Amino acid sequence: VRTRIGLQMVAAFGLVTAIGIGLLAMVTLRTQRRDMIVQLTHSADLLSETVKRSTEDYMLENRRESLRRQIEAIGREQRIGRVRVFNKEGRIAFSSETAEVGHVLDKQAESCFACHVQDRPLEKPPVQERARIFTAPDGRRMLGIVNPIQNQPSCTSAACHAHGPDTTLLGVLDVTVPLDEVDRQIVASRNRIVGLAVVALAVTGALLAWLSRRLVSRPVEALAAGTRRVAAGDLTTTISVRGAHELGELARAFNAMTARLSEAQHQLAQADKLASVGRLAAGVAHEINNPLTGVLTYASFLQERAAHDPELSADLEVIVRETKRCREIVRGLLDFARQTPPRRQPTDLNEVARRGAAVLMNQLQLDRVALALDLSDDLPRVEADANQMQQVLVNLLLNAADALGAQGGTIRLTSRRSELPPRGHERIRQATCRKGCNLLDRGTRIGGLPAVRVLRQRDGREFLFHLDPVYGRSNHVSAEACEEGVVVPAACPRCRVELVEPERTCERCGAPTFAVRGPDDETIRWCSRTGCHFTWWEARERRGPTPVVELRVEDDGGGMSRETLASLFEPFFTTKGGRGTGLGLAVTWGIVEGHGGTIEVESEEGKGSRFTVRLPLGATDQARVAA
Amino acid sequence: MSGKDVLVIDDEAVVRAAVRRVLEASGLEVATADDAASGLDHQALASCRLVLCDLILPDRSGMEVLREIRQRRPELPVVLITGYATPDHAARARDAGAADFLAKPFDARELLDTVRRALGARSIAKEGVT
Repeated sequence: VRTRIGLQMVAAFGLVTAIGIGLLAMVTLRTQRRDMIVQLTHSADLLSETVKRSTEDYMLENRRESLRRQIEAIGREQRIGRVRVFNKEGRIAFSSETAEVGHVLDKQAESCFACHVQDRPLEKPPVQERARIFTAPDGRRMLGIVNPIQNQPSCTSAACHAHGPDTTLLGVLDVTVPLDEVDRQIVASRNRIVGLAVVALAVTGALLAWLSRRLVSRPVEALAAGTRRVAAGDLTTTISVRGAHELGELARAFNAMTARLSEAQHQLAQADKLASVGRLAAGVAHEINNPLTGVLTYASFLQERAAHDPELSADLEVIVRETKRCREIVRGLLDFARQTPPRRQPTDLNEVARRGAAVLMNQLQLDRVALALDLSDDLPRVEADANQMQQVLVNLLLNAADALGAQGGTIRLTSRRSELPPRGHERIRQATCRKGCNLLDRGTRIGGLPAVRVLRQRDGREFLFHLDPVYGRSNHVSAEACEEGVVVPAACPRCRVELVEPERTCERCGAPTFAVRGPDDETIRWCSRTGCHFTWWEARERRGPTPVVELRVEDDGGGMSRETLASLFEPFFTTKGGRGTGLGLAVTWGIVEGHGGTIEVESEEGKGSRFTVRLPLGATDQARVAA
Repeated sequence: MSGKDVLVIDDEAVVRAAVRRVLEASGLEVATADDAASGLDHQALASCRLVLCDLILPDRSGMEVLREIRQRRPELPVVLITGYATPDHAARARDAGAADFLAKPFDARELLDTVRRALGARSIAKEGVT
């Protein structure tokens, strides 16, 4: 059984609060009780003083009977317990309880104790010391206060001459009052405080429970549920926990992780698919190679022997040509099957270029193609798989030679160090809304790359809009035609959170911009006005251009049409009819991608094409740091 | 002297037959073997001027056959026949001392050119030019 974190927190906070409130209640009660006793003591003292003054005359005049009746009368008052007077020797001279008159009190008796505690008579200690609390024989709690009756000149000069002038203390007036009322008030007060404490605890507990549910349990449950969904294999999961606190942070990190996991899984699945297709292709290709060798060898042999018979020779020519076509298909399949992760080493691409050129020199000469090498002297080494890069180069050179056709021409192979501005080149490899939903859409690709998908709104209609995933390029794809120059809001297609940030306006046209989060939470923004191609990736711009090494293959052949350019790198796309497998450039693209590089094609019909492969120099540094 | 010029080691009958047909038509005497063991045991190995050997054989790899022949007759040129020629394969074959390599499927012209080149290289090597 799992204990809920919210419940645990409420229990912990509740316990602390209960202890706090309990302590507070206890201290309050004690203080209140002490204050009440002090107050009562003072009023008892006042009472005792009043009794003393009101009986003074009787004492002076020695009117004992009147004094006795006065004391008894006072003693009958409800709020007064007992009034009595005893002399220095402790004998009770007068009392509101007549039964005890004549008794002698020991100095240890409770009424004497205050003054006689140190076994010596004191004249008049402060009021707190003269007061005492005790339990009467009938069980009532009482407060007693003693009041010494001091000798005065009027006493010694009185007619009775009862006291000599040298005595200071004549006797003690002892007044007791019941504590019932005080005790009752304290009990009432205690009940009230306990009641308040219980209410406060209940309210705090409820508040805590609510807060913990809202701030902790729900986000934690959302995270747990998201984790379970991811564990169950649903990598489209995003968690919408908002807030700048750690749980929000965790949710965003989780979403970023899922997005990357999803991409990695996709790549892995793709690689896996390619690998199994590749293994199958390789197996089939190897099996076909042997019979194909038989057919090709015999047919070509026969063709040479039949040179004198034009009819036979022409038929054999077809067999040889078609068998060679089979051979190219098999080789293409094997090339495709051999796509493996690059084994990178610091590589001199000039060396790769020279080797690739050497491999093809004979064939190019046969095809009447001149190859001009223009290799940079200060080309830095890049982390690359030399064999794979040679394959790239050979593919590009063969492609260029094919483009030149039968009449031949010139191919220029150039290497140089260069810098790549982020604009127009940097790929947006990650995009989320501010709540963390993945916006990269693998289903819709622009230039072969997953596009950034947003939801836009126009005249009450919603439609999907795919942003070009290359920063600064604007080959966006809209699901619905929209006239230019209007501001169209953008939202997350998943959680529908608004992406427009009106406070950040377009630097070109002043319209509001909308933003997505790129890698490392960097903000990439676009103008929300249709037709305005403003886009800004602050953090990437600040990092400046990427240093790269470029390999460029240019031909002065026929160039390519727009349609050809669009599907150039797709597997099995070919313009060479029977002669091509449509795998060469797909393999080339895969290898360059695998190196974290880019491949750019520029072409103009009638003027020729230029393929530029760029490998980042930074990758070398990063690889070294990682190693 | 058995008079054989070329020893062909390949497990595929059609490849052996095709190579034999083409080379014999050019006046070369051809011996064949269908695996590494019988190839290395073949009496023609002692006297032939060239060996064509498939890279993948049922019992041992063509590379092992190449190394064995390099030990027995270092001057004898060996051409490796591969189902698939990559720069990697070519480099490894040359490192191991192969005279050349021939990628399947080949036509009669490629076969003859390669064989002539290999035999020529051998005669040059014999004359001590390189």
